[in-house]
Amino acid sequence: MIETIRFWLIAVLLGLGVFFTLVSTIGVIRLPDIYARAHTASQTDTLGAGFALAGVALAFGWEQAAVYTVLLLFFVFITNPTAAHAIARSAAETGVEPLLADEGTDPDETDGPAETDGETT
Amino acid sequence: MPASLEDVFLVTAAAFVILAIFVFYRAVVGPTTQDRLLAVNVLGTNTVVILALLAAGLDQAWFLDVALIYALLNFLMSIAISKFTVERGGVL
Amino acid sequence: MAVERLLVPLSDTVTVRQTVAYAVRSGLEGADSLECHLVVAMPYDADVPESDQYDEDADGLLSRARNWVEEDAGGADVTIETARLGADEYLFGPRDYAEIFDAYADEHGIDRVVLDPEYQPGVTAQLLQPLERELERIGLAYEEAPVERSARRGRLAGGTEDFDRLFATFLISYGFYLVLGDPTYWFDLLTGAAVAGIVALSLAQVTFTVPLDRVQSPLRIVRFAVYVPYLLWEILKANIAVSAVILRPSMPIEPTLTRVNSRVRSGLPLTALANSITLTPGTLTVRANNQQLLVHTLIPAAQEDLFDGGLERGIRFVFYGRDSAAIPSPRERDDAEVVGGDEL
Repeated sequence: MIETIRFWLIAVLLGLGVFFTLVSTIGVIRLPDIYARAHTASQTDTLGAGFALAGVALAFGWEQAAVYTVLLLFFVFITNPTAAHAIARSAAETGVEPLLADEGTDPDETDGPAETDGETT
Repeated sequence: MPASLEDVFLVTAAAFVILAIFVFYRAVVGPTTQDRLLAVNVLGTNTVVILALLAAGLDQAWFLDVALIYALLNFLMSIAISKFTVERGGVL
Repeated sequence: MAVERLLVPLSDTVTVRQTVAYAVRSGLEGADSLECHLVVAMPYDADVPESDQYDEDADGLLSRARNWVEEDAGGADVTIETARLGADEYLFGPRDYAEIFDAYADEHGIDRVVLDPEYQPGVTAQLLQPLERELERIGLAYEEAPVERSARRGRLAGGTEDFDRLFATFLISYGFYLVLGDPTYWFDLLTGAAVAGIVALSLAQVTFTVPLDRVQSPLRIVRFAVYVPYLLWEILKANIAVSAVILRPSMPIEPTLTRVNSRVRSGLPLTALANSITLTPGTLTVRANNQQLLVHTLIPAAQEDLFDGGLERGIRFVFYGRDSAAIPSPRERDDAEVVGGDEL
């Protein structure tokens, strides 16, 4: 009985992890510019990885490997926003212009030529 | 039980691999260096998760060591490359 | 009813924040109310083409410093005056600076000048010692603010602070080693102690740039553990909101750039805040400069959350305790604004 509950709990956690990573993948492909993509990249880092690693930790139970997994998740949570910030900052420093809503950019037409915005070379 | 826990992990890992291939599109297309860098960073996170899933699915706990080192290198790579795309000054 | 009048010359240095804090503290010690004159000396006259830029920088610094004074003063009676000095002449050497401060002091009845030890107006070289000499010659009372500088100079000072840093670094690295290894195996215990000892000796000064507090630091870790579930909850909400937007076929995103003046100190608290903001989908810190954060937001809901300042309160709770957490939101205290793309 406990085993069945655990099985379905793990399955749900992994399913949620896959779902949020799927959303993030769609976002990385669809969104118009680097700054917007960085938002959705943090979805993979937080809930995508979070749910999947929670499932793994649950599968290992009270072993040292579960502690490892939690440590891994903690590490991902600390380093990835820093990396995302560094990437966004580097984009800002090299003069990549963000697409902003109040500058008359129509968000519906974002997949077309707007995609090459910010190409500096 | 209809399916074993190991199979669930392996199927999830496969799903993550397929998603990673789609992210690879952004790494190839760009258009800016930072877009590629971001895509590779997401790919790295995906790889870490895949390694952890395989550790559970194949019952090889030492895969988690590899995942930890991979996460570390992924972070360092993002910082290093974004640092070198900027000619002067820091990004952190 | 004694009024203390202080003149604080500002320049954009790492110690300017602490200098302002010291000025407010020392001013309120000796008198009931404080008149704090914050000035920026402009090194060039207004004719040079880049002077607009200098003016803007000076105004930015002054407005930030005004926030700092308000923050530090709490409920005390503090009047703040700000000014840009020397805009219509060319300030050449320390004598010019000393004279211009003296003229300002005479005009406003200043009692004392509080100097930033790293004071460095414009692009000229270090100015402190010759400036002090000139101030002495003129006869204007001045005082150098005692600030904590970066770790490198602290190496000379010994005592309990150093021991605390060593001990904390040792504990963290030993704990990490044992989590990765096997805490019951004697070999791991021994090698772990050796490695942690080497790490502590070589890296303690780099890891903790500010002295640790024996009561506050452990307390902060406990409060951080309380903050994490709250952060996870915020992340979950933001994730669902962003997912809903991305999955809609029309993808109704409204990217904006906003600037938020945060009320947390530079260093670890600001890093924690910037990382929390970036970790929450929908908000992304593009730039963090002193206490100014430039944040890119993807959807209006994320911008609302940012302006409500929930994460900022959380970080203030972690670092300064429950009482400090109850501050007005950035929107209420007028510290948040939407800016255009040219701010980058």
